[in-house]
Amino acid sequence: MGKIKRISGCVAAAQAVRLADVDVISSYPIRPYTGIMSELARMIADGELDAELVYAEGEHAQLSVVYGASAAGARAYTGSSGVGVTYAMEVYSPLSGERLPVQMAIGDRTLDPPGDFGSEHTDAECCRDQGWIQGWASTQQEVLDMALIYYRVGEDPRVMLPQYACQDGYYVTHILGTVDIPDEAQVKEFLPPYKNHHVLDPKHPQIIGAQIEPEQGPPMQYQRRMAIDNINPVLIQAYDEFGKIFGRKYDPFLEEYMTEDADIVMFGQGAHMETAKAVAKRLRNLGEKVGVVRLRAFRPFPYEEIAKRMSKYKAIGVLDNSAQFGISGGAGVLLTELRTALYDVGDKVKTVGFVAGLGGEVVTHEEFLRMYKKLEDIVKTGKVEKTRYWVPFEL
Amino acid sequence: MSESLFIEPGLQQVTVWARGVLMNKDARDIVVGLTEAAAKEGKHVQAWENYVDLPDRIYVPVRAYAKISTDPIESRYVYENDAPDVVVLVEETMVKGLAVLDGIKPGAVLVVNSRRSPEEVRGFLGDTSGLSALVTVDANSMSKALMTLSGAEGATDATGIGAGISAPIAGAVVKATGIVKIDNLANVVKNPDAMKRGYNECKIMKLEKTQPKKIKKITAQERLEQLPFAGTVPSPQVDNRGMVTGSWRTQRPILDAEQCTGCGICWIYCPDACVTRTDDGLVTFNLEFCKGCALCSSECPTNAVTMVPELDFKD
Repeated sequence: MGKIKRISGCVAAAQAVRLADVDVISSYPIRPYTGIMSELARMIADGELDAELVYAEGEHAQLSVVYGASAAGARAYTGSSGVGVTYAMEVYSPLSGERLPVQMAIGDRTLDPPGDFGSEHTDAECCRDQGWIQGWASTQQEVLDMALIYYRVGEDPRVMLPQYACQDGYYVTHILGTVDIPDEAQVKEFLPPYKNHHVLDPKHPQIIGAQIEPEQGPPMQYQRRMAIDNINPVLIQAYDEFGKIFGRKYDPFLEEYMTEDADIVMFGQGAHMETAKAVAKRLRNLGEKVGVVRLRAFRPFPYEEIAKRMSKYKAIGVLDNSAQFGISGGAGVLLTELRTALYDVGDKVKTVGFVAGLGGEVVTHEEFLRMYKKLEDIVKTGKVEKTRYWVPFEL
Repeated sequence: MSESLFIEPGLQQVTVWARGVLMNKDARDIVVGLTEAAAKEGKHVQAWENYVDLPDRIYVPVRAYAKISTDPIESRYVYENDAPDVVVLVEETMVKGLAVLDGIKPGAVLVVNSRRSPEEVRGFLGDTSGLSALVTVDANSMSKALMTLSGAEGATDATGIGAGISAPIAGAVVKATGIVKIDNLANVVKNPDAMKRGYNECKIMKLEKTQPKKIKKITAQERLEQLPFAGTVPSPQVDNRGMVTGSWRTQRPILDAEQCTGCGICWIYCPDACVTRTDDGLVTFNLEFCKGCALCSSECPTNAVTMVPELDFKD
């Protein structure tokens, strides 16, 4: 079946790239995603992967390289972290609008200032409006699996959109975890070759990304909107196929942990939700009805799914591992978007934002305990005194 | 309540200290070797390197960690081991001036790669309360230290595990703690003979049971109160009190005044401005910051500077 190894999130991503037989990779170093590229360079040098590895002069160039490669029909891969992600900002929308399904790994990292290697979701979340598929893996296994699923979905002719495959910097990129590495045959069955609608070819010249007048604006954007609408049905299908071929079943949108009769859940994405699960389990042993809902799909944000499945809770604590200064609600993007998703149930479900783990600081068991306690107080009193807490200063 | 709520009774923590660039590989091999062996025994394991010790420079202290547990590990996503059961020093000078015993569990074991006896090494550690045993193993006589960047930053190690001094050091850890079975470790490391030498030839000194000292942690609130505007700090102009590097040194420059001509070549070459020319025509070395790079010694035209192992000095 597969090969079980203890590897880092970086190596897991590189293994997925090898299995997906990526054609062109563009590299530029920045911690913590860099390990992916050094691993890919080693694989190419050792003959494990046949790919073109281009060392770009910066992240903006990195994204431009995969832009050209994908437009020429190559399955392309790149990645970055922190300010590298924001340096390439200009190129993201064209990649989406011109329907070039490159995959970008983001080993997330706090934005400057000052220099901080530690993880935060802020860098990748800055890209949330660019029209890409996006989500966080919280274990090394999930990094590998999501990379394959993202190529499958992104390259689907009904979708044809690029993807940000995100993982928590250091926690997932650098710590070793147990990963079942699939066989090439399984991946071949799951992931068809990349075949775009338009391919740059001297024999059939085309203009990709032409200049337009405003009158073409609405149709161009709406066409892309329709592609975004296709993501979720394809995602569901892809995860179903994945489960059948590889034996690992994932809920495409929300991973529910001990939620069956829960009154209170923590909601969030990425590595820290694994810590939340450990805390929920301990609290359950004490008889508390708590659980964890881990968001697996960040873009498109599954607001309909959330409304359907999360309206039953009495209180939801939203963990935002990001600094979205000035945002509505005063916490982070997950609080704001969860509240929008639950708008129709209004005050029936109490929601509170917790901004924690900034700068890459650990979100401790004790901090999760305080969050759960705060939610219990809210359920008891029926009152939400503050809609957000920046941990550990305000809670 | 929370302190007892999150206890993991089946969890053992191993913290390995080494010197940057030169010894990361061996430090990594110790934690990966032990965890791979433990995995063969059905244990839940995690191995990783200290994220903020990297990127490293030569001689700077760096750390690697292992967690080995009978149950799924709950404290997975942390930066350090908060309560080591085993502390390993890949380089002996690290007993001097580094807080290697901070946070140890009662009954912890310290393993030091050194030719010296446990008794001699203990003299440098200061407060050893909490330690139940102190072990020395002369790993450098049993194997050759390995230096490579392969496996750094989470990438795959293409050179294999346990070919260097990590093997005998890991062997000594097994002898002193029984944390894994020696046969499983022998199947993981590339140099099982060296591993077994470390196992058989290490010197173990048992210590009386004592409680480890409590470590006071600085809180986030305290950090907030100390934080200058926008995090902007004055630039050091003479020396940097925030980064005193004498503890990076594994060997100390000693001047033979008879041979010294006062030429000042060592003063020119010292990369850290740690040489001062004195009024009597000689030089002195700033031992607060000297990292022991030995450029002074190798450039001295009269062989007036000798490098002496730092642990030969009690101060």
